[in-house]
Amino acid sequence: MANSPVILGCRMLETKGPVTRVEQMIVSAARLIQDKSVLMVGTQWPIIVSLLAKALHAPEITICYEGGAIIEKVPDRIPFFTGDPVVNSSSVLIGDSFDTLGAVLHGGRADMALLSAASVDRYGNINTTCVGDYRSPKIRFGGSGGACDFGSLAPKTTIVLEHDKKRFPEMVDFITTPGNLKGKDNRRESGLRPNTGPHAVVTTLGLFNFDKEGEMVLTAYNPTASVREVKDAVQWDLKTHKDVGPLDPPSEKELEVLRVQIDPGGMYLREARLLKKSEVVI
Amino acid sequence: MSRTEKLMPMSDAIDRYVADGDVLYLGGFIQQDPFAAAHEIIRQGRKDLTVSKCASLILVDQMIGAGVVSRLITSFTWNPLPAQAHCFVRALTRQVPHKIDMEEYSILALNLAYFAGALNLPYVATKTMLGSGFDWEQTDFGVKNRLKFETSPFTGERVCLVPPIKHDVGIMQVQRCDPYGNAQAWGMMGEVRYGLQSCEKLIICAEEIVDTDVITRDPNRTLVPAFRVNAVVKEPWGSHPAPMAGYYDMDWPYNAYYEKETRTEDQFQNFLEKWVYGIRDRKAYLKLIKQDRLDALIPERFDSDPVPYGKLTSHFGVPYA
Repeated sequence: MANSPVILGCRMLETKGPVTRVEQMIVSAARLIQDKSVLMVGTQWPIIVSLLAKALHAPEITICYEGGAIIEKVPDRIPFFTGDPVVNSSSVLIGDSFDTLGAVLHGGRADMALLSAASVDRYGNINTTCVGDYRSPKIRFGGSGGACDFGSLAPKTTIVLEHDKKRFPEMVDFITTPGNLKGKDNRRESGLRPNTGPHAVVTTLGLFNFDKEGEMVLTAYNPTASVREVKDAVQWDLKTHKDVGPLDPPSEKELEVLRVQIDPGGMYLREARLLKKSEVVI
Repeated sequence: MSRTEKLMPMSDAIDRYVADGDVLYLGGFIQQDPFAAAHEIIRQGRKDLTVSKCASLILVDQMIGAGVVSRLITSFTWNPLPAQAHCFVRALTRQVPHKIDMEEYSILALNLAYFAGALNLPYVATKTMLGSGFDWEQTDFGVKNRLKFETSPFTGERVCLVPPIKHDVGIMQVQRCDPYGNAQAWGMMGEVRYGLQSCEKLIICAEEIVDTDVITRDPNRTLVPAFRVNAVVKEPWGSHPAPMAGYYDMDWPYNAYYEKETRTEDQFQNFLEKWVYGIRDRKAYLKLIKQDRLDALIPERFDSDPVPYGKLTSHFGVPYA
C-alpha cells in the first residue's frame, strides 16, 4: 500500500550522453518553427517541440491549445498534454475552443499547426481513429480531438511521431485528419481552403516534405540512419529528394536546453510521465 | 423577493433530473470533469443514456464499462497518459458490455453543434471536416445523416453543415455557485459555455457554495445564471482525479493506476466495485483516496488581482449646459 504520492521522475543534470533519435526528432521539428509565428499545438510531441523552439530561436511565437489557451512563456512545468492544469497559470489568455480553434485557426490567423499521430500515409493523411472497418474496428484509437481541425484549416501542418513501419501505411484505414487525400488536386476538390495542408513530417528516422503531387518525399534522414533504413520503414515506394542528406545533429546548446530547461524530469525524453517503472497501487 | 434554493445531495439531484434514455451532456474540458455525478449515475443504475462529452477521458470510459451508455457523442476518448481507454475500446471492438453507437466530430465541429443547439439554430456551416473520413460523400460512414456537405449559397464553395445538438440534462462541476444556481468557473473552458446552454435541465456541482454577493461582485466569471439551473450540489473534490483550477491538480498517478487496473473486463468490475458500487457517496470515495494523496494535489496559491467593476448609485454626471 503506497500512501505517499508518487514523485514523478527526478531532475536530470546529466547533459552529456549520446543523442537519442527522439531528441533528434524534437530538435529537427523545433527548427522548422519560425519566430513570431502563431502555432496551433496538439498534444504529446508538439508540446515539447514548440516549447524548445520558444526557449531557443523563436521566443516570440504564440502557442495556442485547442481547449482555449494562448501561451507566450514556457510554463513552470512541462505540460503532459494540452489540457494540463499548469496551463491555467501560464497563459496570457484562457477562454474556450472558439478563441483558438475558432478565431485563430478557422479565422485564418494561424501560421502553422503541430500534430502527433497514430499513423500517416503517403499523402500525409493522419489516422487517429481506427484500424480496420470503422463500424467494427480491429483496433480503436482515441479519435480526432482538434486534429481534424488543425489538418483541415492550418497553412502548414507538421506531424511529429516515432517512426514505425506499422504507422506508415500507403493509405490509412480512416482519414481522421485530411492531408492531401488522394494527392494532386484532391484536397482542393474536397473544398478545403488553398494554402492549407501538410507541410512536413518529422520522425525518429527523418524529415519528410510533400511534392507537387502531394506525396511525401524524404528530405533528410536521422544521422544515425540511412536512406535505405527509412525506405524500408514505410509501406510504399518512398520518393527521396534529389538533395537528400543527413539532418544536422542537435547542437550542444539545443541539447542542453532540451534536457535541462525544458524536460529536466525526462517526462517526454525518458517517458517518465508514463509511470512505467513505478508501482502504482491505491 | 423570494428565491428558490436548489441545494440538494448528489443522490437526490441524479434521482430527480437524470432519467433512463436521456441525452446527457457532461461538462468539463479535461479539467472539471463531473466524476462524483457520473459515479452516482452508475450507482443508481441509469441505462440507455446518450452521453455527450467533447473531451472524454476515463470518466466516460467508466460509464461505458458500467453499461450505462448506449450512444456516445464525442471528439475523442482516451486515457491522457497517453494510453487507450480500455472500456471504450472493448465496447467498439467487441461490443462489451454491449454495443454503443458513435457520433464523432472534431472539437471545433462539436463546439459548433453545441452552439447551434444553444441558440436553436438549424445548422452552422464550417470549413473543417471536409475530406475527412467523416465526409460521408467519400466514405459513407462516420456521422452519416448528421453532417451534410453542401455548396454555400453565398460563395459557391463546399461547406460542412453541422446540425444542432441539444441535451435533456447537463452536469458540470464548477469552483463556486450560489444556492440558487448562479455558477462561476474558470480555467480552460473548451466547449463548456455552449455545451451547458444547449441543455434543458442543469445540475451544477460546486467545490464551494457562496453568497450571491460573491457572484455579483464578479459577474464576468458566471457560466450559467440561476434561472437555467435545476439543482445545486455541494461536492468538494467532485472532479477528482480530473483537475479543478485553483483547487487541485490532476491526480496523474490515478490515470496510470486506472490503465493498469482495467485491462480486462473482470479487472474493471473489481475497479467499479471498489470505487463506485462499494461506497455510498463522495465522502467515502475521498476516504479511499486518503488525505495525503489529496493534500499533494493542492497547488500553491496563485491569485488574480481584484478588478474594479465600479459601483454606480445615481444617474448623470455634470450636465453640459
